Amino acid sequence: MHDLDEQQWRELLQRLRRFALWLTREPGSADDLVQGTVERALARSSQQRDADALRAWLFTILYRLFLDGKRRERLHARWLSWFGHAEREEEAFGGNIENIVLAQADLQAFARLSAEQRALLLLVSIEGLSYKEAAVALQIPIGTVMSRLSRARAALRELTEGNPQPPALRRLK
Amino acid sequence: MTRLIPSEDELHAYVDDRLTPPRRAEVQAWLAANPQEAARIDAWRNDARRLRAALAGFGDQPGAAQLDLGQVQRRLRQRRQRRLASAAVLLLALGVGGLGGWQARQVTLAGNELPMADAVQAHRLFAGSEALDIQASDPTQLRDWLGRHFNRVGQLPDLTGYGFQPVGARLLSNEQGPAALLVFQDRAGQRISLFLRSPGQHYERMPQGQRVDGQLEARYWSHGAYNFALVSAADDVRGAGVGEALRLGL
Repeated sequence: MHDLDEQQWRELLQRLRRFALWLTREPGSADDLVQGTVERALARSSQQRDADALRAWLFTILYRLFLDGKRRERLHARWLSWFGHAEREEEAFGGNIENIVLAQADLQAFARLSAEQRALLLLVSIEGLSYKEAAVALQIPIGTVMSRLSRARAALRELTEGNPQPPALRRLK
Repeated sequence: MTRLIPSEDELHAYVDDRLTPPRRAEVQAWLAANPQEAARIDAWRNDARRLRAALAGFGDQPGAAQLDLGQVQRRLRQRRQRRLASAAVLLLALGVGGLGGWQARQVTLAGNELPMADAVQAHRLFAGSEALDIQASDPTQLRDWLGRHFNRVGQLPDLTGYGFQPVGARLLSNEQGPAALLVFQDRAGQRISLFLRSPGQHYERMPQGQRVDGQLEARYWSHGAYNFALVSAADDVRGAGVGEALRLGL
């Protein structure tokens, strides 16, 4: 991890943060997630990895942390609902992310995919992970990677070109 | 010909550039002959390209926390040290609590019954008298006698080095079962005694200790199946050494 020069390190962080942003939809949580990932990676960085393997490994850690956080959140929500607080459906982007997404039609379509589809497309199409690496990172069998990829691409196609739907994200002010 | 028709998975792999070069060429040829499929694949590829363009720099938002690797490492180290420190404090607290609790227990029990009070009593009653079951000036004789009555006891050490010769022994009993008093004497006539018995109700795992009871001092400990006590004059400095020798031998 220390073999990376400053430029490579910054780029890697940007990639992690982009992935985290699309998972959490919230800049604050995304930063926490990236930081948690780096910390965990440093604590376990006894093994030497080349740059590509390191990237895949970091995405794997990040996604696991994200799932852990989700699990905790669900548990927390269940507790709250027991105590009479309604569960809150969180779908909107926080902070300035929403403006950026709204400004680009391509991102609007992408934002309407399911979280699993988004994660997979990000890893495969954007980050260039192999199918096997993506399977490891998302903790799913490779067969699921392929079928999910197929559905994600079809869905994105439909959202981009097919029946025009009203934008899902709207700033209410 | 069948081999040439690519599967759906292969078409995705083609888009993601994950096919072997020969297979890639085959799929390319197949797509050239199937314009409808080729259009579908092109659309996927265009989507991916547009997405890449739209997401370029997406992670680099203003206000993004900059992570300095060295800083993170320093923070991790600090956290580890803090955690170690907390663990130490916790251990200390547990230790103090445990020790305090144990001592409190001792104090509570001492209110009712002192450890090995019967040893001191036996010493007072019998050590001075000649009313011993056996008279033995030979250490081996005493050792044999002890082994006969208490089969789970270790080797009785020779106390000649401390100036003590065996006088004799007496078999006793109390509510805990049989007990023995072994009496030793130095040239000046000063007597010490070793008392042993089964553990009592309150002192099953009696901690090693000592206490002064009037003119006498008792050193007591547990080992194996028995509780032991050495009773000597409170001002006899040999008590500690003799006690240690007995504790190690028995």
